[in-house]
Amino acid sequence: MEHARHVFRVLFVLLVAVVGIVLVRSFLVPASYGLYGPYRFDNVAEQAAIRPPLHGGAVACGECHEDRSKAVAAGVHRSVSCEVCHAPLGRHVKGGDVVAPMAVDRSFTLCARCHRKIDGRPTAFPQVVLEQHVQGGLEGRVCLECHDPHSPKL
Amino acid sequence: MPEISGYAFPNDIHVHWSLMIVMYPYLTGFVAGSFIVTSLYHLFGKKEFQPVARLALGTSLCFLAVAALPLQLHLGQPQRGFSVMVTPNFTSAMAGFGILYSFYLVIVLLEVWFVYRKEIIEAARRSRGFKRKFYAALALWTYDTSPEALDIDHRAVTILTAIGLPSACMLHGYVGFIFGGIKANPWWSTPLMPVIFLLSAAVSGIALLILLYQVTARLQRRAVERETVQSLARWLWFFLIITVTLELLEIIMLAYEHSEEWAIIAPLLTTRLQFSFISMQMIIGSLIPFILLAIVVLLAAYLHDRIRNTLTIAASLLLLLQVFSMRWNVVIGGQLLSKSFRGLRSAYEPHLFEKEGILTAILLFIAPFILLYVFDRVLSIVEPPAPGGHEREGERSASPGQA
Amino acid sequence: MDDNRSTRRDFLSNAITLGSGAVVFLSGTSLAAGEEHPAERYDWEAHRYAYVIDTTKCIGCGSCVRACRAENEVPDGYFRTWVERYVLSAESSHVDSPNGGLDGFPPMQAGFAPTKSFFVPKMCNHCKETPCIQVCPVGASYRTRDGVVLVDGQRCIGCGYCVQACPYGSRFLSPKTHTAEKCTWCYHRVTKGMKPACVEVCPTATRLFGDMKREDDPVRRILEHERVAVMQPHLLTEPQCFYLGLDKEVR
Repeated sequence: MEHARHVFRVLFVLLVAVVGIVLVRSFLVPASYGLYGPYRFDNVAEQAAIRPPLHGGAVACGECHEDRSKAVAAGVHRSVSCEVCHAPLGRHVKGGDVVAPMAVDRSFTLCARCHRKIDGRPTAFPQVVLEQHVQGGLEGRVCLECHDPHSPKL
Repeated sequence: MPEISGYAFPNDIHVHWSLMIVMYPYLTGFVAGSFIVTSLYHLFGKKEFQPVARLALGTSLCFLAVAALPLQLHLGQPQRGFSVMVTPNFTSAMAGFGILYSFYLVIVLLEVWFVYRKEIIEAARRSRGFKRKFYAALALWTYDTSPEALDIDHRAVTILTAIGLPSACMLHGYVGFIFGGIKANPWWSTPLMPVIFLLSAAVSGIALLILLYQVTARLQRRAVERETVQSLARWLWFFLIITVTLELLEIIMLAYEHSEEWAIIAPLLTTRLQFSFISMQMIIGSLIPFILLAIVVLLAAYLHDRIRNTLTIAASLLLLLQVFSMRWNVVIGGQLLSKSFRGLRSAYEPHLFEKEGILTAILLFIAPFILLYVFDRVLSIVEPPAPGGHEREGERSASPGQA
Repeated sequence: MDDNRSTRRDFLSNAITLGSGAVVFLSGTSLAAGEEHPAERYDWEAHRYAYVIDTTKCIGCGSCVRACRAENEVPDGYFRTWVERYVLSAESSHVDSPNGGLDGFPPMQAGFAPTKSFFVPKMCNHCKETPCIQVCPVGASYRTRDGVVLVDGQRCIGCGYCVQACPYGSRFLSPKTHTAEKCTWCYHRVTKGMKPACVEVCPTATRLFGDMKREDDPVRRILEHERVAVMQPHLLTEPQCFYLGLDKEVR
């Protein structure tokens, strides 16, 4: 063993390195790691609070715009949330106060997105070939000329 | 924006694994392949590999030092890369990187230490001043060069090589597993993937050693041993045959079974990968070296040394290209097809000057050779002649018959 | 000489004993372990979420894609949810998803006479046996007890392995955060009792979000009584997004 001293020296150096690595590692493992699985449990609460919800839902709009809300609910657009045609609630109201006017899109592109006749839509769904829908063609026309977007059935 | 033919899932059109992820298996392939060559001498005792044994060991270490860099350059958050070592998720093949890399690094460092310990101590004794301190520290302040101690060193080297060989294979094999375990991608998902990667690594390592042996021997005015070149060529030929057989087998099996994945892999091979797979990997990269090496192996007795050297050098250069194109075809090819199995995106073109670009890849490839040069200055890549006038293989200072 | 050697040997053996003890002790713990996680008002054990998509009702308006983009600040060119259009005949098929369906779908010529066509909204399936969690090297991807697959944006190293592993193409590496991102079923909304943004805005009740642990939940009723399908079932990822009205052409 006299001549194997250098082997023991190397092994000792290795041992010191391993202990050092394990020590350092225990400082680096995040606090809530491993509580419920191989992940950082604190992140669950972080994700639940990652940002305030932007969309409010049609019910939330009705809190201030009750009449409009009732009109929509009585018409054929009752299943269309206000935020589909307008912007998400969070762009209009923050913390109970109005921060910006709600966006209103009056172009026919908005209506065409749902109601232009294309392959793929269920046949029972109301859709039209826009170019043939109006006498005199589409030039310069918008759907809102005839249809009330909140209760569009004529 | 890439062009899509057919239909691809909207998120599928991005190639996230770039040229760096092609370089990583390329570099670790050299690590494993060089270690296989050095183990042929240190573990299996084949004397004809003695002239390249230390060179191979040094090559393995130098490529290992650079191997982690392409990964760091690729990570979206490289400063968190160490998390793989702190909290590895062991269901992931990629998590194996931390342990396999560290373990193999320790083995190689230990082996280098035991192989070179005698020379380090002699260098310490010969030197003065800072150089003496440096070599003494490198020897861990041991000074025992008695025959018993050297005998223990030899045994340690054998044991370390025995441990190191499967470690090197695992270090590169796990990369194949990373691809092979992805059931979502039919071009990658096969049990053959780790095996193909490893055998391909052996091809690249032996080819590189052939080239390095020729270059270093000529630069250092040493003889190029016929038996060494011949044996290296023979092993290279065998590994090439097995590698290409498995690479082709995978595709033949896919074509024969004609499952839904063939609908997208066939267009992938014939359109997007036509040049890199059929022309580069198979014809230029496999068929021609196969013929060149067949001549060297089968017609060994009739060849002049100069022709043997030229043929093996040519075959090795082509095989370095073949292994690179194989990595490219696997990594990039797999990302060109969409998981919808209905679309392919246009070819991925790395730029010259970006973080994961062509210039970076070239520098990553050159860096280990610079390290090897430093390695040679500190610890020679050639075994010194034995004292007492014995003529050992590979130490003849001048010999006829070399090109 | 002998005394020195035995002293050195004793020192070595003591060091090894101490060292291995330290290794065993420290390898299991985290020295920075905090206190118990503060009790949440939201109890994740009380819920098990599931999602149903009725493709017979989808009109391809893209409201869901727009709502998700606004709600979750999704970068341009990447999608946490998208809508595909399938235009089929008995022999031919054509699939498209212009910008993920963000601006709806334009009229198109398929190059053959289609006999059936429909829309298929897609997103992360929040699988029970996910390949994405399996391959994450640092455990940044995980599944909550209420059945939502999330990515810890502070631990993700951006390696992209999960993106490659997802068979449905629902993940991407965000160019802003350089970490992996995907649909989270709007976890910041569902934990407050709201629905995901895409479900909230869908005008045709194509998208339905439910809780399997609630007695009278409509999604639970559908899963218990209707015939449902999942994407790529042969991969056995056990997706928790269930589809009604699927066709063999949908993957």
